[in-house]
Amino acid sequence: MDKSTTLAKSNIPQSAVKKRSLRALLAGSPARLKLRLMGVEADKGLLFRVFLYLLLIDVAFIYLKPVLYMVTTMVKDARDLLDPAVIWVPSGFYGGHLAEAYKALNYAASFTVSLSVAGLVSLFQVVSCAIAGYAFARLDFPFKKLAFGALIFTFVMPPQVTILPSILLFKELDWINTFLPMVVPALFGHGLKGALFVIIFRQFFSTLPKELEEAGRIDGAGAFRMFYRVMLPISRPAVLVVFLFSFVWTWNDSYFPSMYMFGAENVPLSVGLAKLNAMLSAESEAGGLRFFVEPLKMAASFLIILPLLVLYAFTQRWFVEGVERTGIVE
Amino acid sequence: MNLAKLRITSATTRRKLEGSLFIAPWAIGFLVFVAFPLAYSLYMSFQQVRITATGINTTPVGLLYYREILFADGGLLYDDLVPFLREAVLMIPIILIFSLLTAILLNVRFGGRMIFRVIFFLPVIFASGQIIQEFIAQGEGQLIILQGSQLERILSDYVPRSWGEPLRSILGSFVLVLWSSGVQILIFLAGRQTIPASVYEAARIDGADPWSTFWKITLPGLSPFLLLNLIYTVVDLFTFPSNPIISKVTTENYGVSSALAWIYFMIVLLFLGLALLLYRRASRSMGIGAIR
Repeated sequence: MDKSTTLAKSNIPQSAVKKRSLRALLAGSPARLKLRLMGVEADKGLLFRVFLYLLLIDVAFIYLKPVLYMVTTMVKDARDLLDPAVIWVPSGFYGGHLAEAYKALNYAASFTVSLSVAGLVSLFQVVSCAIAGYAFARLDFPFKKLAFGALIFTFVMPPQVTILPSILLFKELDWINTFLPMVVPALFGHGLKGALFVIIFRQFFSTLPKELEEAGRIDGAGAFRMFYRVMLPISRPAVLVVFLFSFVWTWNDSYFPSMYMFGAENVPLSVGLAKLNAMLSAESEAGGLRFFVEPLKMAASFLIILPLLVLYAFTQRWFVEGVERTGIVE
Repeated sequence: MNLAKLRITSATTRRKLEGSLFIAPWAIGFLVFVAFPLAYSLYMSFQQVRITATGINTTPVGLLYYREILFADGGLLYDDLVPFLREAVLMIPIILIFSLLTAILLNVRFGGRMIFRVIFFLPVIFASGQIIQEFIAQGEGQLIILQGSQLERILSDYVPRSWGEPLRSILGSFVLVLWSSGVQILIFLAGRQTIPASVYEAARIDGADPWSTFWKITLPGLSPFLLLNLIYTVVDLFTFPSNPIISKVTTENYGVSSALAWIYFMIVLLFLGLALLLYRRASRSMGIGAIR
């Protein structure tokens, strides 16, 4: 105890502790001083606060830097790119790279594909995974333990184990080069990370009070009415979290589309970026004349994540709060 | 009495029927999109598969591909697997600790918390996609502090090469580690809400200091989430599409690819089992998990 007090004292004059709080601190006895500085839980002391802000700002900077780099690089014109004095703030706005990336990605068509795939998949997954999650959490059915084992198994299994037979299966069904192979499994609660979403819903539903259902049951409601009238309306946080995860992951995923849609005319944006990269490297190998590959790539990346950023900007409020209330686990 | 019994059984059958109806879509999906391809890929791993215009021709080759991959030719599996496993062993604890600390920090009430949370959830948006590859490719993955330091030299001098190499590559893309802990931060943050404030209150009254409060309350309370995050991180790391072994599962040779995928799957399961075992050992020796 003594040791930590002296430690705390020696740390007082450190930069960011403000003068006013310093005086308030010194007024108390050493024990109170220590309490002030170190706090009750590990997260309430003043020293901790300073440390907290420093650390958070640091990490936030790490997260934001690539984004800033992306945005500033893509609007630099040739003069800015060559000028070593221009690093973060370009001297003007140059839209050429954006326009080029827009054309190279075939943006309008690819955007439509991406939007319809991600939109449909996330919509289907929300509904189907909620139904399955509800069954796992609250209902009784034969082989429930076995089914739950299968769910965990699906979660752990790398999709690559089943990808080749799936390709053959979808080839039989004549679904290759359409987006059906991504969308139809979602309808059944599978598809990209489907098992995880079922688990999230299961955890959420099992935290809800049992009384809800008992009241409904006394009123004579069947499981279906219970689900649509009582469970679904109160599970908005879980729905939002799953919807956003599903949308974002499907939007970003380039693995399944590149496996199922390799010959399609219009590919999702995520595949478009890979194609653009391949094109650029082929060009540079052939001794192409392109000077500025970087800004073009950055512009393409920006165009791809722009819709996600817009979506996130609109939903982040509910999302951030929803996550707290989902009790994603347990 | 007989009638009452009958009514009860009919009620339970009705419940079971309802439950079956609810699970039916998922169960059908599992059979069609998981179980069938899984069985078929296991079958293909023992076959030489030729795709022709008329259909699929298979000739059984037994364990040939497995033997080839495991014993004959190291190029397909070991060259990439061993460094990758070493990296995974180092990365998983870093991701877990970082996301745990970040979640605890983000749980504190302070001015501007909302803004920080918005920023810290950004990885959830970017990290799953190709964009993150772009960021790494242009060197944005490195921490600037490390570039000027002597760390590289120290590493090459004092750490054996086989471990120094993965360690260096992790430090080189340390930001990637931070980027791949988005979901984990979310899970910890959600989990932190399940520890009631009254417990901390009680600890304060008993005069517990922050240090022991963290070890005795926060960490044990979060241990189920630690477990979940451990599983999630392992799965996420091992199924990341740009992972070196996974990218070798191609449509070029169905038989070899299937065998490789199965071997890899077994390794994932083994790794997961090992991680869980270690977790259990560690949590028992530290007394975590005693509360729940």
